[in-house]
Amino acid sequence: MAPLLEVKNLCTEFRLATGVLKAVRCVNLSVNAGETLALVGESGCGKSITAASIMRLVPPPGQVVSGSVLFKGEELLRLREDEMRGIRGNRIAMVFQDPMTSLNPVFTIGHQVAEGLRIHRGLNRREAEGEAVQMLAQVGIPAPRERLRDYPHQLSGGMRQRVMIAMALVCHPELVIADEPTTALDVTIQAQILELLDRLKTENRMGLILITHNLGIVAERAHRTAIMYAGQIVEMAETAELFKNPLHPYTRGLLASLPEFGTPGQKLATFAGSVPDLKSELTGCPFRERCPIGDDGCAKGQTEMKEAGAGHLVRCLKA
Amino acid sequence: MRALFEVKELVKQFPVGGGLFADKRILTAVAGVDLELFPGETLGLAGESGCGKSTVARLLTALIPPTEGSIRYAGKDLGTMNREELAVFRKEVQMIFQDPFSSLNPRMRVSEILAEPLVIHRIGSAAERRERVAWLMQRVGLSPDHLSRFPHEFSGGQRQRIGIARALAVSPKLIIADEPVSALDLSIQAQIINLLQEVKEELGLCFLFITHDLSVLRHLSDRIAIMYLGRIVETGTRDDVLDNPQHPYTEALLSAIPSIDPEKRRRRLIAKGELPSPLSPPSGCPFHPRCPYAEELCSRVRPELLEKEPGHRAACHFSAKIYRQR
Repeated sequence: MAPLLEVKNLCTEFRLATGVLKAVRCVNLSVNAGETLALVGESGCGKSITAASIMRLVPPPGQVVSGSVLFKGEELLRLREDEMRGIRGNRIAMVFQDPMTSLNPVFTIGHQVAEGLRIHRGLNRREAEGEAVQMLAQVGIPAPRERLRDYPHQLSGGMRQRVMIAMALVCHPELVIADEPTTALDVTIQAQILELLDRLKTENRMGLILITHNLGIVAERAHRTAIMYAGQIVEMAETAELFKNPLHPYTRGLLASLPEFGTPGQKLATFAGSVPDLKSELTGCPFRERCPIGDDGCAKGQTEMKEAGAGHLVRCLKA
Repeated sequence: MRALFEVKELVKQFPVGGGLFADKRILTAVAGVDLELFPGETLGLAGESGCGKSTVARLLTALIPPTEGSIRYAGKDLGTMNREELAVFRKEVQMIFQDPFSSLNPRMRVSEILAEPLVIHRIGSAAERRERVAWLMQRVGLSPDHLSRFPHEFSGGQRQRIGIARALAVSPKLIIADEPVSALDLSIQAQIINLLQEVKEELGLCFLFITHDLSVLRHLSDRIAIMYLGRIVETGTRDDVLDNPQHPYTEALLSAIPSIDPEKRRRRLIAKGELPSPLSPPSGCPFHPRCPYAEELCSRVRPELLEKEPGHRAACHFSAKIYRQR
């Protein structure tokens, strides 16, 4: 079966006055219908820019410089802007992290949820509102018909995030990219929202790219997981396999640094050093300066991705 | 042992609204909290946003006065302290904030940020202060060469180290840390947790650690108090509260944490609905509208925080029935 989305050798750069920042450096990934792929990494690792590149929403001065994004076999990077607009929010939708800044404060909830239906499906206002009410009910908003006339500030954070999800799903997209969808929420609300996304994904056989830095969420929700570091995917595997058998020293370090695995009162494992400057030309493995097992060999050339087991890819000479 | 802090029936209400046509309403952020904090211990205060945990922090640092109830520090009531006593109190109790971006003055150099508390409390000569500031930088893992830099020249983790150094400057006895690691990346979070642990042991500090992240609390706390809608609903030793919760809200919080370890994933208890508004709290037990075990009694009578096991208190009518088997 051909994957729903296939990203090949994607590179995105920001041409700044101070130099070229290579934010995404040759990313390869794929998502199947009904599958959840988690994209994990720390701030600045390029996971959100990867998502923006897929959606063709990279903010200037950033631009996708090479690679390909195939959505059901169609090259998104070559579409005209008006063709892309027909896909965005319709067949591929996004859920953003912060519902306060991603919802428009001067339009009602009803207007914003119905907007996609009116634009993409040509429904009139009444029809669109009817479907918006159904969608709001599906994401668990009580009394949805009354909520239509509410403005975003009248809702709580959890309710706003549900509205964001309703907006993303109202046109029944085939792929949803959720960028830290629950980071701004409390844990009990987070659990509700993740359940909801999972259920809707299964019901509609959507593909889901879940961008997060919370490894617990990844372990519970994702079929496959890709770990990003300095603009590259450094390890990718089935989630259960990745957590049972992490191969890249960065993945291992991340897992070891979790308080969940520490002994109370004992020190947590940490990395030395910090992330390399993405504006400089990176030769060799970008993790080598912080790596406990790296040696001189790691400083040469590009470290390529290699297959370490069925479907388990890792970018490390030592693994 | 005498408690460093003794908090009794603490209440804080805020008037809200009160525009031209709207009536003033009363928001009860803290609705009767009892707390004790002993020298050398770390108390973890956990709860979701809006439960009143940050208001407790502001009350305990005397930034706002309580509406009712008393806060005694080292045996003296904060409300009756005179100027000198308050100055000593403010030196001995320091705070670390959540956001390392907004809690440092962008126009001050790090050397000035770290020396300011010493200047305010008139500690040491200029030369002694310089020496102290250099020592502080080193203690939190930063190079004293960077003292002339401004906050924007540091990363989030480094800024949080500066915030910790500032709190340590005047040799406090107690540090109140309000979500000190939740804005940080994973690998940085572990570094800061280790640093807090180190300075705590080295300087014999007492910590009040406020967070919503129970896995961080498990790592750092000796005792834990769980807050919900302005009240403490459960308190006890770390292991008692986290391994043997006696309140359904604690159980819901624990089971909502996504875990990497499939063994740890227990039966999910998902709290229904959302945190009710503190402007109109529910009758009876504040958790009853979301509680899967709620019975008729829960909507009428508010349960008191009672001892369920030695040193382990919970405010639930039915904890014995619900948690008997476990």
